[in-house]
Amino acid sequence: MVRNVIKRDGRVVEFDKKKIIDAVTRAMDVTDEGEDIVLAAEIAAAISKIAKESMSVEDIQDHVEMELMNSTRKEVAKKYIAYRNQRNLARKAKSREIFKEIIEAQATDVTRENANMNADTPAGMMMKFASESTKSFVDECLLSEDVKEAVTNAYIHIHDKDYYPTKSLTCVQHPLDKILKNGFFAGHGESRPAKRIETASILGCISMETVQNEMHGGQAIPAFDFYMAPFVRKAYQEEIDKISDITGIDYSRLKDFAIDDYIKRDLLGIQGDERVIQHAINMTVSRVHQSMEAFIHNMNSIHSRGGNQVVFSSINYGTDTSAEGRCVIREILNTTYEGVGNGSTAIFPIQIWKKKRGVSYLPEDRNHDLYRFACKVSARRFFPNFINLDAPFNFHEQWRADDPKRYEYECATMGCRTRVFENRFGPKTSIGRGNLSFTTINIVRIAIECMGIEDRNDRIQAFFQKLDWALDITAKQLCERFNFQKTALKKQFPLLMGALWVGSEGLEDTDTIEKVINQGTLGIGFIGLAETLIALTGKHHGESEEAQELGLRIVTYMRDKANEYSEMFKHNFSVLATPAEGLSGRFTKLDRKKFGIIPGITDKEYYTNSNHVPVYYNCTPKHKAEIEAPYHDLTRGGHIFYVEIDGDATHNPEAIMSIVDIMDKYNIGYGSVNHNRNRCMDCGYENADADLAECPKCHGHNIDKLQRITGYLVGTTGRWNNAKLAELRDRVVHK
Amino acid sequence: MAKIRILDIIEETMADGPGLRTAIYCAGCAHRCPGCHNPQSWDFAGGHEMTVDELLDIVKADEFSNVSFSGGDPFYQAEAFTELARRIKEETGKTIWCWTGFTYEEILADGRLSMLLPYIDVLVDGPFIQELRDPELMFRGSSNQRIIYLTEKEDDVIPGTVPLKPAK
Repeated sequence: MVRNVIKRDGRVVEFDKKKIIDAVTRAMDVTDEGEDIVLAAEIAAAISKIAKESMSVEDIQDHVEMELMNSTRKEVAKKYIAYRNQRNLARKAKSREIFKEIIEAQATDVTRENANMNADTPAGMMMKFASESTKSFVDECLLSEDVKEAVTNAYIHIHDKDYYPTKSLTCVQHPLDKILKNGFFAGHGESRPAKRIETASILGCISMETVQNEMHGGQAIPAFDFYMAPFVRKAYQEEIDKISDITGIDYSRLKDFAIDDYIKRDLLGIQGDERVIQHAINMTVSRVHQSMEAFIHNMNSIHSRGGNQVVFSSINYGTDTSAEGRCVIREILNTTYEGVGNGSTAIFPIQIWKKKRGVSYLPEDRNHDLYRFACKVSARRFFPNFINLDAPFNFHEQWRADDPKRYEYECATMGCRTRVFENRFGPKTSIGRGNLSFTTINIVRIAIECMGIEDRNDRIQAFFQKLDWALDITAKQLCERFNFQKTALKKQFPLLMGALWVGSEGLEDTDTIEKVINQGTLGIGFIGLAETLIALTGKHHGESEEAQELGLRIVTYMRDKANEYSEMFKHNFSVLATPAEGLSGRFTKLDRKKFGIIPGITDKEYYTNSNHVPVYYNCTPKHKAEIEAPYHDLTRGGHIFYVEIDGDATHNPEAIMSIVDIMDKYNIGYGSVNHNRNRCMDCGYENADADLAECPKCHGHNIDKLQRITGYLVGTTGRWNNAKLAELRDRVVHK
Repeated sequence: MAKIRILDIIEETMADGPGLRTAIYCAGCAHRCPGCHNPQSWDFAGGHEMTVDELLDIVKADEFSNVSFSGGDPFYQAEAFTELARRIKEETGKTIWCWTGFTYEEILADGRLSMLLPYIDVLVDGPFIQELRDPELMFRGSSNQRIIYLTEKEDDVIPGTVPLKPAK
């Protein structure tokens, strides 16, 4: 009596006669004589009586073949065998085709899934092979049946599914002060605490580079200025010591001199102590500049992430008002403006200006000069982006202007938009925490399925019912992944769980990370709100108040459900306005296959990013802000506001300030300004044309087009996937 | 109430002067510069009439935008634009940039045209000359055209920061 079936991947499932009957009748259906349900049932019964406890799928299929051959319906056996072979071939061919694409370095959506990865290099290929094989392993072995079905049918997308088996978490904001103060041990070689600005900046790089290999998402420094500042004073003190050594005069009394600002000045005409101090300042500024330049250079050139990728790095800064903190900010901005190498725009780290009233935003604020400069830098180099600490949801009750550790209460963001701040299971902070995993719901598909319902209320009600189901399955999936992640041992993440993650200091090497990972968040994402609203109301939220009302109702509903899940499952759930790089085309492609081309919905190669007003829709930045702002409060798992600028942004840095004013007024959480920047790689000529094929100066064709893709910059749009390229073509400037 | 023939109003543009601006494009221009990128704006009967009040309402409605006059050439409707500019200056704190095909010297020498000048912050002057076309110029088409700051230009020097790539 057969009780169990061993599937191809090794899983054991209960024997089910119905599956045999189905397979046999399917084969009968394609013959002239058609179905014979009695015969099918007899075959299934015969197999079930075989005197084995369990049988493999292949074994069962062999028996079906035999039974059919012994029956009167030999032609069915033929069809059955043919089908079986075809399936086997298809199974093999699928992975073989993908491997071939990778080997031949073809520019396909498999190799261009991630714009930051060069999948053509050996390490990149190795990464792709691994990634493509783990994905099917996850499907077959790690997902529960209903989740798998929801994934296959494109209702949900599990991000970083290839990393699922590694139990890795997504991202973390590095408490760099700990690293700099205590040094660290990351497998090989120990680092001593930093003493100098040069070391501090390098340890910052190493911290991000090391942890990048322990995680699948971005690495960020939440308060770059605060962390680096102490080493500026140390550099100054070293310079004073040097002068004492050279002159034989003891100037140590000048070491703690209150410096108002570290600004380089000509020594001509300056005498006495003042000259000593100014010289030490000049040397210090040069060293800080050099250190910042090295930091940016390293973050753009050291490929520490599997698959020849540089770290997905971000740094947040702008709120340290000390002379030393200001020196760090000024020099990181100076070097960013100058560019790397021969003046190219640095792709990493994503820089984020922490905009705050009373600190930098208002004309009378101490850091207002640096804020103005930041806008000018952004006009040429795309960075910094801006996080709005004045938005009510980014506010922290314990923040005090005179608290030297106030940065612990400042919300920091991942450059891509992932936001971690609120916390049900510990202190509210961004630092030492991150996202654990996220999964995105294809709300467009759900809406398309309801389009046929005539009555508006019924249609919307049906949508919410389906949304409910999708939310439930997403929450379930996130919990399942959490339960898998939590079984990882601390030693699998030497630096992350050795020093960085909140609470990790209490863990032993052989402990699991279960106790501490609840500090992280589980993200429920969504994509294509615009298309969803077109499906349900005929218009998107940029063009119709009624659609906007429904859009807010949908995302509010998701937020409320996320809160319910947090209570129910005891995790930090949050809603994420999904950055949909690899996903942008996948859902659309599958939906188009199923539903065909529906105007305004599946007629483009992509779905609109999260809650954004469609890129093809022409409207003013203010209107876009009015529409998108309320979603920022609802999507605490992360969001970003984009404005496309027309003309040459370097001619108009004031426009960047105006966009920040708009963010301030409407309580936008995080935003940035997009513009065109072409650079001739032969002669260094730059301009802002929408499409530049030939350099007007040297007539070269080696043009690097810089554009932003889901928060990251990509050096050349040649590495964008098809859906993202289509979206780029459709982007209109807001004016 | 004075009326202005308007070709188009572009709200929150970033290409017609610094920051965000409400760009008021008027109809009618007799300069007829060869290579003009907007010859449909030459027709004095083009566009539609709007009152100064209507225009003022649009300008005032956008708290983030300053104002730009372009066209066409606003100086062909100098009286009405003077009234609009005067009221913008009296009733808002907004700056006004104005584009014209006349040169600054020609305007100064003409009593009627120069009425508008006291209310303009920045004048971008001169005809477009095809041979002098340079797409890299800031807010201008050809290099004979000048950006003339009639009110004080804010010099935003930030100590300790690298000199920015100068805009042409």
